[in-house]
Amino acid sequence: MNESLSYFMMAWWDPYLVFLTAAGTFAGIYVGVIPGLSVTMAVSILISFTFSWDVNEALAVMAGVYVGGVYGGSRTAIMINIPGAPAAIAAGFDGYPLAKLGLAGMAIGVSTTVSFFGAIFGIIILACAAPLVSEMALLFAPRDYLLLSLLGILLIGALSGESLAKGVFAGVLGVLIGTVGLDPISAQPRLTFGSMSLMGGIHYVTAMIGFFGVSEALVQTLDLKKKIIKQKVDRILPSWEVILKHLPLSLRCSAIGAVIGALPGTGGDIAALLAYGHAARSVKNPSRPFGQGAVEGIIAPESACNAAVGGAYIPMLTLGIPGDAVTAVLIGAMYIHGLKPGPMLMIETPHLFWFTVGNLVMASIFMLIFGLTGIRAFAKMVEMPPALLMPIIVILSVVGTYSIQNSVTDVYWMLAFGVFGYFLKTYGFQIGPIILGVILGPIMDINFRRAIISAHDSLGEFGLELLVNPISLILTLSTMMLLLSQTPAWKRRMARRRTTPPPGGSG
Amino acid sequence: MLKTLFGAAAALSLIAASGAGHAADFPTKDLQGIIMWGAGGATDVVARAVTPLVEDALGKSIVLTNKTGGTGAIATTYVRSRPSDGYTLLYGAENPQMYKVLGLADIDYDNFYAVNLLARGVAVVVVRSDSPYKTLKDLVAAVQKNPGQVKMGTTGVGGLPHTVGSMLKTVIKFDVTAVPFDGEGPGITALLGNHIEFIPVGISAAAEHVKSGRVRALTVVNPEPVASMPGVPAIVTEYPDFAKYLPWGPFYGVFVNRDAPDAAKRALDAAFAKAAKDPKFVEMMESRGNVMMNIAGAEADKFLTKWRSVSCWILQDAGVTKESPEKFGIPRP
Repeated sequence: MNESLSYFMMAWWDPYLVFLTAAGTFAGIYVGVIPGLSVTMAVSILISFTFSWDVNEALAVMAGVYVGGVYGGSRTAIMINIPGAPAAIAAGFDGYPLAKLGLAGMAIGVSTTVSFFGAIFGIIILACAAPLVSEMALLFAPRDYLLLSLLGILLIGALSGESLAKGVFAGVLGVLIGTVGLDPISAQPRLTFGSMSLMGGIHYVTAMIGFFGVSEALVQTLDLKKKIIKQKVDRILPSWEVILKHLPLSLRCSAIGAVIGALPGTGGDIAALLAYGHAARSVKNPSRPFGQGAVEGIIAPESACNAAVGGAYIPMLTLGIPGDAVTAVLIGAMYIHGLKPGPMLMIETPHLFWFTVGNLVMASIFMLIFGLTGIRAFAKMVEMPPALLMPIIVILSVVGTYSIQNSVTDVYWMLAFGVFGYFLKTYGFQIGPIILGVILGPIMDINFRRAIISAHDSLGEFGLELLVNPISLILTLSTMMLLLSQTPAWKRRMARRRTTPPPGGSG
Repeated sequence: MLKTLFGAAAALSLIAASGAGHAADFPTKDLQGIIMWGAGGATDVVARAVTPLVEDALGKSIVLTNKTGGTGAIATTYVRSRPSDGYTLLYGAENPQMYKVLGLADIDYDNFYAVNLLARGVAVVVVRSDSPYKTLKDLVAAVQKNPGQVKMGTTGVGGLPHTVGSMLKTVIKFDVTAVPFDGEGPGITALLGNHIEFIPVGISAAAEHVKSGRVRALTVVNPEPVASMPGVPAIVTEYPDFAKYLPWGPFYGVFVNRDAPDAAKRALDAAFAKAAKDPKFVEMMESRGNVMMNIAGAEADKFLTKWRSVSCWILQDAGVTKESPEKFGIPRP
């Protein structure tokens, strides 16, 4: 125990490591803010940059960038409806409506507080239950990933806005965009029309930047003389009352985030979407309706995507298996520094685990500090005249898109998505379901086929497997319940039950 | 005044540099390095580890960029389309050698000059440690008893597990259900979770799991046993027919266009050969289960040609090629 504590404090006693973590977190927040500049990219650039450094120094700065970057993405999502990273998409669903009401400062304040809460929750899970969670994560079979993404895609219902049909259309469009490229199993080209540039597929961040960034810029330039909304920044920190009231929701969503983060192959973006869906269904009386500025709609995704950071470290530190794209790069960095990520890592270099935990806690604290101190300046950004702000957004979108894979084709796609998204918005289609389709479509595609192949191409065996495995059974039942609860018959029954008091209830 | 001072200094350093040897004509500006796989992948890690050492030797920076897509075909065609001046490097893996037969591109490493083949990986067939299969023979017997029932993990057509599986198929009767995953890491994860029964992977992906005792290595797909997998027999001891395919495995190399100037090739050769001997780099590569090669030019070409023959014909025999290797004059191994 004493040993663990001394490893935990390693980063805290060394002023240089404290400085590096702080600098990393600060840089991470701004990497997160800019759409297209991803944490994955920043960390992989840091690999070369920190090649000759001491390993602890390199890991400290990378942990900072990771924690800061995941948090930073939601700022632009809230203020100008342009998520800085996929994990922040869900934060904009209710955050942006709040900014339109002049409450951006409050929204970011809530986001920062619950981000910190979620991050610490994820780290506690990492510190206390890492071996347990990683064993559980291993049990997730392809069919379970399929069911998880099905649960996620059902969120279309909550994101459709005025018409479910339009929502479904948008979702299917997203799935279709996600299928472009080489088929992941047989390497057959799909919808590539013989073009080499399309073989790599359309990166989902390209779609995200186009549909959110450029289309939003177009919508807002439509009315340049529109009165700018004055943002209230006098009260940023949410009151204890608000925090306590939503504590159960933050806890549930942090748990979702930590588990989804720990699953290899799913990260903060999916965690945030699932948590948002969970909130939209479980919160009976939100502060405002979901999609129109519900505080719950910020709390859920923000606590989840930040808890996913600690979660993603779990399989990485215990088994050498990355929990998401960033931890995959971190594993590479560890190899370069002579460490051997894998199940032996905690035995051969025991200090590393607690050092990382201590480091992540420190980065989370810096995230809270930098997050809260920067809000006033950031909220003012929304008050910039659109004639100035929108061109900046378009330029950042182009630069960000190009830097994903250094491909000009991606930029053309992004611009096309932007123009197309503008028309979709004009005609009452929502952007959310498209992105949902782009992100979850490929996961459903590959995992359905994996699951069927695993069941020796037999639908019967596949169906049986859904019922005999505990994890699959729970997920199947939740999916069924969710579908059932949306049927008119079920809704009528629930409404009847609510109006008529239960028999014998009133004595 | 200052200007003349700088001018004098520059002239002096030029004289000093040209005195150092002919290679000083190159490089006169920063280089560009294109990595054909994404951030965090094996190729990316190797590229980012070796490059700082090469920069020291060359005295110029190499700006690294990941250009993914089409299993590296996008990066490969991009580098080919750049001027052949030696300033654009391709950090590549084995994939281009199969582009022609897979119909992904009409070029392969024949169009490039191998500045350095840094290292190659060795494949190893692994099962869970609680698996009933103790040797490759056990596994083969189980597969032959229940054709199509035993689940093998792969990483898609043309990947290492698929190719090793196809080798087994051509040497012995070996009919399995191949479940594809996103990479060797996710494949091992599925093995640990008991979703597949065995998987051939590179030693780098398996080594730490074998050491921890959760995973058992049945055989190394190599002409002789490998130091990083002590006590694991080479596949040729059980199946001598494998010898004609080996050595085979993923490899990591650095390439420039074949018609680049000789001065550039020589300067790059020297810089990479020096970097590839750096103890820290060698240790990193070997700890990942790689066999260092550090070969260039004609020697590298020989390796590349044999590699292409083996892989292309295995794909052809597995029936997944678009064009026959014969069409491109690729001989059977």
